[in-house]
Amino acid sequence: MTRLRAASLGFGVVFGFVLAWSRLAEPRVIHDMLLLRSPYAYEIMASVVGICFVAIRLLERRRPHALLTGRPVVVERVRPARRHVLGSVLFGLGWSITLACPGPIAVQVGQGFFWGACTLAGVLVGIRAYLWREERRARVTADAVFSPSA
Amino acid sequence: MRSDLLAQAPWYVAGPLMALVVLGLFVVVGERIGVVGGFSSIVERTSLGRPLGWKAWFVVGVLTGGAAFSAVTEHWRVHEQYYWLQGRVGEAGLAPVLVLGGVCIGYGAKAAQGCTSGNGIGGCSVGSPASIVATATFMATAIASAFVWSWLS
Repeated sequence: MTRLRAASLGFGVVFGFVLAWSRLAEPRVIHDMLLLRSPYAYEIMASVVGICFVAIRLLERRRPHALLTGRPVVVERVRPARRHVLGSVLFGLGWSITLACPGPIAVQVGQGFFWGACTLAGVLVGIRAYLWREERRARVTADAVFSPSA
Repeated sequence: MRSDLLAQAPWYVAGPLMALVVLGLFVVVGERIGVVGGFSSIVERTSLGRPLGWKAWFVVGVLTGGAAFSAVTEHWRVHEQYYWLQGRVGEAGLAPVLVLGGVCIGYGAKAAQGCTSGNGIGGCSVGSPASIVATATFMATAIASAFVWSWLS
């Protein structure tokens, strides 16, 4: 296994372990979050974003290079587009139904939660459907560019 | 240690640990955290023959981390009920509802270029306007929808 794969796997294990320990992979905890009964999940998100926001800005000043790849680390700050809103509405609907988002879904599957596997199946289908739509768009664009005009 | 893990992690422990993962990926791999990207890499590998990206290994790690937690605490969730949803739609209806919800999550996250990890944690941490808009949108939608489902049931 390459060092990049090993590092990615290692970070994932830590992330999954903490998600499980914080119970964010349990529907009840997410339900309490979305119904504004408990600040717990918001406290976690706020602390992660707060710590990283400051740390990344300090790191950027040093023009860091990734330790494993040596490539300059480029922080992307993207302008919002319609896709970010529409996609997020759909994502939010799905999240409110399943009470699990992709990270917790992976944890659920790891913990042997059968219903988590059902949600994961849907996630994979949804991703494939999106990729199919993008392929179709690319083909239509290519046809329009390369087809001779009438 | 096992008794500590049986209790829910305090937010001031879980948050900084997750921040270490976000920062670790940034410094070591040079990339933003993201989970749906990992699932997408696996889908692209199996259906389009593209090579597996680092995020696929990250997702395998997340799954493994969940399994490791269950192994350490000796608490697996094989026969667990699905909270209030199972009582509302019954066992026969639960799988199709979860699959449908999953489709919305997968398609929506790809369209929005990230999920709660990618946009909510990673993107907001770097101050990306698109991630901030996406996060605000999916949070508002999820909260409003949760209240609607709760009212309807």
